[in-house]
Amino acid sequence: MRRLPVYLLLDTSGSMKGEPIQAVNVGLQALISSLRKDPHALDTVYISIITFDKEVKECLPLTELSNVQLTEVTCPDSGPTHLGDALEVLCKKVDKEIILSTPDHKGDWMPLLFIMTDGKPSDLMKFKEMAPKLKSKNFGNVIACGAGPKAKEEYLKQLTNNVVLLDNMDSAAFQAYFKWVSDVVNQGSKSAGVTEDLELPPAPEELNIVI
Amino acid sequence: MKDVLTAISHKGKQIEWIDECIASGTMKDVFFSPDKSYVVGFYRDKDKFDARAKDRLQTIVGVYKDRIIDGPNGDYWEKLLCWPYDTVEYRGCFGVVVPTYRKDFFFSHGSINNDFLGIKGKEKNGKWFASAKNQNRFLDTREKGDLLSYLRISILLSRATKRLHAGGLAHSDLSYNNVLIDPEGRNACIIDIDGLVVPGKYPPDVMGTPDFVAPEVIKTKHLPLGDPNRILPSILTDRHALSVLIYMYLLFRHPLKGGKIYDQDPVKDEEMAMGHKALFIEHFSDKSNRPNLNDVHPAELPYADVDKLPYTILGPYLKELFDKAFIDGLHDPQKRPTANEWEDALIKTVDLLQPCLNPHCSHKWFVFDNKLAPKCPYCNTPYTEALPVLNFYSSRSKGNYLPDNYRLMIYNNQYLYQWHTNRLVFPNEKLADPQKKPVGYFVKYQGKWVLVNQNLPDLYDVTNKKEIPIGKYVILEDNGQILLDKANGGRLVLVQMVNN
Repeated sequence: MRRLPVYLLLDTSGSMKGEPIQAVNVGLQALISSLRKDPHALDTVYISIITFDKEVKECLPLTELSNVQLTEVTCPDSGPTHLGDALEVLCKKVDKEIILSTPDHKGDWMPLLFIMTDGKPSDLMKFKEMAPKLKSKNFGNVIACGAGPKAKEEYLKQLTNNVVLLDNMDSAAFQAYFKWVSDVVNQGSKSAGVTEDLELPPAPEELNIVI
Repeated sequence: MKDVLTAISHKGKQIEWIDECIASGTMKDVFFSPDKSYVVGFYRDKDKFDARAKDRLQTIVGVYKDRIIDGPNGDYWEKLLCWPYDTVEYRGCFGVVVPTYRKDFFFSHGSINNDFLGIKGKEKNGKWFASAKNQNRFLDTREKGDLLSYLRISILLSRATKRLHAGGLAHSDLSYNNVLIDPEGRNACIIDIDGLVVPGKYPPDVMGTPDFVAPEVIKTKHLPLGDPNRILPSILTDRHALSVLIYMYLLFRHPLKGGKIYDQDPVKDEEMAMGHKALFIEHFSDKSNRPNLNDVHPAELPYADVDKLPYTILGPYLKELFDKAFIDGLHDPQKRPTANEWEDALIKTVDLLQPCLNPHCSHKWFVFDNKLAPKCPYCNTPYTEALPVLNFYSSRSKGNYLPDNYRLMIYNNQYLYQWHTNRLVFPNEKLADPQKKPVGYFVKYQGKWVLVNQNLPDLYDVTNKKEIPIGKYVILEDNGQILLDKANGGRLVLVQMVNN
């Protein structure tokens, strides 16, 4: 059985302090708990969580879904958003962790990447260097989420065509977002239509999809 | 409290639902009725839902429901097919009204460690049971059932599929997502019937679920809809999906997912492995797709090991059909076994079961292969006693008995039924209540195996030329001949004692 690696890249910069980071923690719990109720996900999904503010932290190394133990994600009182650094760490991890197929061994499914930020990258140089590198990695899907009014979609669009915006940063919005993430992860095991276009599952009302 | 919405259905009934979506599928959002006796599924995409789609649904809840659910043996089919019974329109959205699933199809114990996954009360999606990892690591033992559970579930699914096909209908998306099973209570039910395909009339709108899509459908999916070479789901592809389901429920692995690598790109690799390059992992001569145990997660063992648990452990009748499904018919749809053939072979296989002597065995039963020194393939416990086997013959013309290619393995306290004693009786939906009562039973009595006559007026010990009245017994001896029934189709048995 192939593994389906899922990477979550979460913004923990100062502006996330308070209700937003609480909501993210609740959302992560809900995400893991919802995926664990899905027999397909239990068979294949592995999860990794990376957070970024002025530092990049691997909160959860790539772990089989049933073994995931979440620790609380925290953020500093203030500080920059080093998304570029985070992408660099992620690319290195992906190179190391993803098992590629060889003529004798079956490898992983192409990994999924969910990026969430409430602002714009503070390390623009690094970000510009890493954006094309990220695109060169074989992700099955990259979905970037801009949370709240200060999120800048123009940067996220440099990473992927799949950009969603969360208008609010309250707990309901994050909850809806993480529920949707779990639908996206599970999509591969659902019935496929006769027309070929692969669509993301319908987004909840709180999410705006920017293409 | 959410609002309760109402609308008058197309059959003129008042339909109510709570305005809170309880589940979202590929096509629909589903809402509970206030008393939870039915659900309403609204189709999300108004554009795709055209007049033809409405017409199709109204035919399913109309003509076909009348024919199948309100027709002969309808009570029986209603349990196996969760049939939509009405349609409704609300603010331009079209919806379908479907009965709620029976409570046996929701987990009552869930997962191990006090249900650490939190699935108690959730639907018993078939994938929970068809996956070795879920079976080995997550499910509470009380949810898992035994080999007899999965044989009976496979019988019920074959029978339900047979009924659809007999009416000219194809399900078009048979998969573990669209089948609920209850191993504990040995029940099964086909759901998502609103996608039914009426050949020649309504084209399917889904290709199927990954793992179950037939190779020819995958092979031609790049062609535009309407291209004469494009193959869409049909009764023939249902047959493939049914065979895959049965294989997975009985062996907890996928018949085509083996060790062979077709492409470095996992998406292309999968498409070839399920499509034009599809190859049975247990093919008798081409062994290139046998599972590579180095690539297998430890939790998938022993089921992923086709040397340890080959499909032949399921006995000769099922082996023959798996060969037809995954060798002869994999790329030649006309050669695939029909649902009816599956039903027959599965029923005959139940009569080959022996209880495992190990009280802790995971499967509790195994199919006796008529070999010397039998042992349970799941826990390796040997069977140590002499074992009577009854070989059935039946009369085609007076006094002339021909073999039925059907045998019954005897175990202590096993019952004999009319479908054993007469070739013309089948244990299916048509069986009348009196026919469901046993006519005899087998016990080991004072060191000898005997058949006790409960309701066999014709029972006759041919070898010793002796009538056996009701209430008396006949001793089973090697090469003994016993006549069970003198009527047309009545059977004669030839006893074989297998000494271990």
